[in-house]
Amino acid sequence: MTEKKAYSKPTIIRHSVGVQNKFGRPPATVPINRLDGFEVSELAEKYGSPLFVLSVKALRDRYRDLKRAFSTRYPNFQIAYSYKTNYLKSVCSILKQEGAWAEVVSGFEYDIARNIEVPGNQIVFNGPYKSHEELTRAFNDGAIVNLDNYDEMQVVEKVASELGKTLEVGIRINMDLNDPPWHKFGFNVEAGHAFEAVKRAEAGGKLKVVGLHIHTGTYVDDVTIYSRAAQGLVNFYSYIQEQLGVKLKYWDLGGGYASHNTLHGAYLPAEQTCPTFDQYAEAICPILMSGPFQAQDAPKLFIEPGRAIIDEPFSLITSVVSQKRLPSGQRGVLLDSGMNIMSSVQWYRYNFQSAQDSGTMLEDTIVYGGLCMNIDVLQASSSIPPVRRGDLLVIPHVGAYNISQSWQFIYLRPAIIAIEDGEVYVIKKAETRDYVQGFEDVPGKFITN
Amino acid sequence: MELQFKSELTISESGFLFDHSTGLTYTLNSTGQFIFRKIQDKQNAMHILNFVMQEFDVSEETAHKDLDDFVRQLKEFDLVSR
Ligand SMILES: Cc1ncc(COP(=O)(O)O)c(C=O)c1O
Repeated sequence: MTEKKAYSKPTIIRHSVGVQNKFGRPPATVPINRLDGFEVSELAEKYGSPLFVLSVKALRDRYRDLKRAFSTRYPNFQIAYSYKTNYLKSVCSILKQEGAWAEVVSGFEYDIARNIEVPGNQIVFNGPYKSHEELTRAFNDGAIVNLDNYDEMQVVEKVASELGKTLEVGIRINMDLNDPPWHKFGFNVEAGHAFEAVKRAEAGGKLKVVGLHIHTGTYVDDVTIYSRAAQGLVNFYSYIQEQLGVKLKYWDLGGGYASHNTLHGAYLPAEQTCPTFDQYAEAICPILMSGPFQAQDAPKLFIEPGRAIIDEPFSLITSVVSQKRLPSGQRGVLLDSGMNIMSSVQWYRYNFQSAQDSGTMLEDTIVYGGLCMNIDVLQASSSIPPVRRGDLLVIPHVGAYNISQSWQFIYLRPAIIAIEDGEVYVIKKAETRDYVQGFEDVPGKFITN
Repeated sequence: MELQFKSELTISESGFLFDHSTGLTYTLNSTGQFIFRKIQDKQNAMHILNFVMQEFDVSEETAHKDLDDFVRQLKEFDLVSR
């Protein structure tokens, strides 16, 4: 008997004009069949699908690269990692090992930081709503607190009276930098509100302004926005120093640095547009160093990166559940993961890479999540090779927001593993029904007939 | 099931397909080409399935499902009569 030929799914693809951009971005046909040395199929078999996978090396590398870029250009620099982006205990612990401080925006996040023993004086407490108790705890711990509004200022003045001491605070400010401008947080500079706020804080006699905080936006891939923010900080500092005698201990440029994920509607892929950490640092540091101080007295510079350091290190392994033809002729692929664990599909055009050699016949495909909801579309149009039920896909760069914003709905949320130095660690077990329903109670009255 | 191409189609050795009536072009992979040529030879779907299983290392279940999907696609592209 003659040997049979290897089989691949029969495929026909219609050629269309104008699918590629003018740079002819090559479609991603190279399969990702290993993650940090481990077979994707073996990981899925052992730990389940879907599965979040953290490359610890990639995380440490991103952090170190960012730190190097800024600390070689500014003498007194500190990263405060934005917990909201991904506050898995292992992630926060690894970054603590690397020397990161914690940037938290709620009492819950504050508690996460303290729980892994981040010292209080290495926590930056932002966020629009901080309760009286949370603020008291933060000042007792020596945390850095940036004030968002006058109501909060009043509460902090009360805390100062209760503690019987003057409290050092930072003021959150915003500027008209982007379109539409980010006015939600803090006090606006152009309208004069920020100056009023500093003046008011100092005038009460209970607070001392020692910091300024600005967060320019999120996924800001235009470095000139950071240059303008830095110039704005320098100008504002010069003004409050001159008018009110304020001497800053720190200034904080917030987060917003882009990651290598492409936004919906972007013309070019992120690999071509995402600035390097050196480009960000170069856009910011020399301007700040022109501020009203001697180099040896430079206020500590904080930045609060989130997605820029945590997106790349995470991948999601997910399985194909089915594929179907739509009336339009387009192919649909249904996955076992949904937008409940991939909320950033709202912003990003993720790449869906095959984990096995599926050939190079890419076809325009709509990628459906596994939720029983019509809106659960992970990507309206993605180039994917032929796949069948049970095949694995890898979605790279999924670390930011997807896990911290995930919600439990109809399926249990998956396990999360970390890989470092050839070892796999389960850093979060897959949920169980008991875990999900553990806090529920059914009063006996509802059970008896 | 009788399958018949609607218009004049030319397929190259490499699987490049040209539809003379519409001017549209397509690419087929090797299995796709194999099935395509069987349709040109006026084989019906049952026979094509058998040919595929003789030629390739594939289970009947998979081959059947994939053939159905392929034919559905040919219909969507309006290459065979519905
Ligand atoms: C105050 C503050 N800092 C840092 C971040 C992190 O932002 P990103 O993930 O875009 O770096 C945010 C997110 O919105 C924020 O509100």
